[in-house]
Amino acid sequence: MTTRRELLAGLSAIAGAANVLWRHEDLIVYEFDGTIEKKLPYAVVFPDGAEQVAAVVRLCNALGFAITPRGAGTGLSGGAVPAQRGVVIATARMRRILEVDPVDRVAVVEPGAPNIQLTEAAAEHGLFYAPDPSSQKACTIGGNVAENAGGPHCLALGVTTNHVLGIEVVTADGEIVWLGGRTMDAPGYDLRGGFIGSEGTLGVVTKVVVRLLPVPESVVTLLGIFNSVEEASVTVGAIISSGLIPAAIEMMDRVTLQAAEAGLQCGYPADAGAVLLVEFDGIPEVIESQATAARAACFEAGASEVRVARDAAERERLWKGRKGAIGALGRIAPNYYILDGVVPRSRLVTVMAGVDEIVSRYGLQVANVFHAGDGNLHPCVVFDERVPGTLERVLAAGAEIMKVCVDAGGSLTGEHGVGYEKNKFMPWLYSEVDLENMGRIRAVFGNHGRFNPCKLLPAGSGCGEMAHNDAAMRAAGPDAYV
Amino acid sequence: MASDGSHSFWPIPADAPAKDDLSRCVHCGLCVNACPTYAITGLETESPRGRIYLARAVDEGHIPLTAAVQGHWDLCLQCRACEAVCPSGVPYGRLMEHVRAQVAAKPPTGGKMRRLRRFGLRNVVARPRVLAAAVWPVRLWAAFPLRGLLRRSGLLRKLGRLGVIESQLPARLGRPFRPGDATPAANPGSAPIVLFTGCIMGEVFGDVHRATARVLTRAGFAVEATVGQGCCGALSAHDGDLEFARGLARDNIDALERTSPATIVNNSAGCGTALKEYGDLLAGDPGYADRARQFSARVKDFSEVVAAAGIPAGRFAKRVTYQDPCHLAHAQRVRNQPRALLGALAGISVVETPGGDMCCGAAGLYSLVQPAMSASLRTRKAEQFKKFAPEVIVTANPGCQMQYEAAVCEAGIQARVMHLAEVLDEATGGGRTD
Repeated sequence: MTTRRELLAGLSAIAGAANVLWRHEDLIVYEFDGTIEKKLPYAVVFPDGAEQVAAVVRLCNALGFAITPRGAGTGLSGGAVPAQRGVVIATARMRRILEVDPVDRVAVVEPGAPNIQLTEAAAEHGLFYAPDPSSQKACTIGGNVAENAGGPHCLALGVTTNHVLGIEVVTADGEIVWLGGRTMDAPGYDLRGGFIGSEGTLGVVTKVVVRLLPVPESVVTLLGIFNSVEEASVTVGAIISSGLIPAAIEMMDRVTLQAAEAGLQCGYPADAGAVLLVEFDGIPEVIESQATAARAACFEAGASEVRVARDAAERERLWKGRKGAIGALGRIAPNYYILDGVVPRSRLVTVMAGVDEIVSRYGLQVANVFHAGDGNLHPCVVFDERVPGTLERVLAAGAEIMKVCVDAGGSLTGEHGVGYEKNKFMPWLYSEVDLENMGRIRAVFGNHGRFNPCKLLPAGSGCGEMAHNDAAMRAAGPDAYV
Repeated sequence: MASDGSHSFWPIPADAPAKDDLSRCVHCGLCVNACPTYAITGLETESPRGRIYLARAVDEGHIPLTAAVQGHWDLCLQCRACEAVCPSGVPYGRLMEHVRAQVAAKPPTGGKMRRLRRFGLRNVVARPRVLAAAVWPVRLWAAFPLRGLLRRSGLLRKLGRLGVIESQLPARLGRPFRPGDATPAANPGSAPIVLFTGCIMGEVFGDVHRATARVLTRAGFAVEATVGQGCCGALSAHDGDLEFARGLARDNIDALERTSPATIVNNSAGCGTALKEYGDLLAGDPGYADRARQFSARVKDFSEVVAAAGIPAGRFAKRVTYQDPCHLAHAQRVRNQPRALLGALAGISVVETPGGDMCCGAAGLYSLVQPAMSASLRTRKAEQFKKFAPEVIVTANPGCQMQYEAAVCEAGIQARVMHLAEVLDEATGGGRTD
């Protein structure tokens, strides 16, 4: 294998020495994302466009270094953690909004542009970009494409793949190709669809053409306050089965509410057992009657109160708490392990009870904040990794929770991606043949095991040590590090 | 690990960043785009999350405090925009002050400059007479008839750090305003209020103090600039000289305690934040902890006081933009009051510019210590000013005011830079004592 020095020289020749990080102290802040896993890369490189990305990919392939693409590092499945060290390709220098076309209602953006900037640029034309992950103030469009990101408003409008028309990508073997285009329904195989949600295992996105939607005429936001998660869950079923299609239905439990209220002062009732945030948008007369029906459904299920946001400022405050809820959990404990299970809405009540049983059996604490309308759960186990043995318990509890979701007819991920923890659970959902076929898609894009390794599909050799060794090293204390 | 107190990787364990503060960060990343230096560089190392992670790595002994680590911390503006958006409530400002204290104790690089800076902060800025003597030639220069010509020639920009200061100087420095100076006669029945005069604020922006006093008088207060008060210590604390900052805090508490329970009003966002956080700064001082908390509870920003008390209707027929001082918006979370006060003036048109609440790059001594990053941030402001062409740029902090003077020059537009107090004063009668 080549030395690291040769690698750095090569990267510097491509992107310029100023755009390559190599010092230990600089690399250490690229060893993590929004999850608990970490791994130190050998180098981080900041290319300025597709040509440089392609050159970096070819260089790493030739020298035998693994590659991990990275956006803002806010991901929640470890997608940007360099599992086999190697090189991190960061998109931070590709963050322009290249074009907003109000007639075609499309925008062309570079992958490093934060989601919020696209939304702001579109707003000037009365348009918006629908997927709105909770991290939208920081997360990048490139990362959204890689993880097929969702968000509260994906209940009615769909996730990233429903809003991306075309992408320019550098494939895992270093070719620059366009998948999809500027219009819907490109003929032929939908490789665009295959790439979106591939968690950075097929290539690096270098340009994205997104669909924009007109900003709805009016919006109404309700906050239903309940005594228990169960009451709130019943309400979700009632709203959906009555034929209403809210723009969003979000649930937060007591632990989450208290953390969010303490951190963000958004006007949540801290003594409630659970709240539902329900939003309708569209024509004023229509959504008013819908809101009335939803309100009635809340009360029927036992809501103690239903508040209606009086103005945009109040609506924003209610959403601020929801969007900052995960980060606010830092008030309870220094680490969280967020899960992303999906279950049929009809099974919400039983699965939530199952989650409760599991975490209490492991002696852990859980905060629940999730996209209830989609049945997309986010049980968030809060803990302190510095307490020996805790991390192992958390991972074991997480695995059990995922199993409960799958057994209920659900899935391992709604929007965060499979990543490096849940890939070993993929056989719960797919047969060996299914998984083999997915592996062949990787080969089509030129990934022979070194492009964002150890993610999405059950990992091969060289990945097993990631979780275990690092956990053991952490348990051994600082002197064992590096 | 140092959590048991038996061992620390920091040079001054007594002022080490608190473990609880460090572990509050769950690296969710929601802060990164609020950070000006991340906005410019796109580097995680220049983001709040990265800087906290580095501090934690040093704290836990994973990495030593190297010159590279110091560089990332030094580039922080301490604007605290990250703190305002952090859902976990990481007290970033406090963390960074403690981190700076460690760097100052044993700097891996740039020790000479740091010592010089500390000498200046301790012996010039914090000593009213020395500061007055130092500002005197600057005052002369500001009024020098050929200054405009020299400025246009571009020669002054070649002066390095001196040139930076020159570009920030207003066209005219008003008379100083110092503790004990005369304030307008109050109407009968007015509530007493203490004006905090600060260090540079009083020497360079005496006119702002006089405007502040007039507006407060119109708002129904009897203003007094109590003798004995001095520098608030913010610049020293930001520089990591916590011991010296604590001394200044004790002096101010001693000087202003007898005016209790009168409100202590500030027109400098940086000082206001420091005063509001004396309780925190002196929490470990048994003789002062309670007194400091009581002191801090009395401190209010000028805009908070005036918005609550109300002033006579005013008129200001200009197109203005309000630019949030970081420590007012992010640390004190005062955003609405200045806008409400401006919006209530007849004839005014207030425009919001994108990034109006992002740091201008002044950041205390930052424009001198990190001229390149400071200039990048100033240019962002200049571009917005060019685009929106305001007639008046309003802010509420001396450093920002000076940086906007430079930004206006850079944008090549004709705009006045004013403190909120000056606008309200002009709008409600100006220099006349009514």
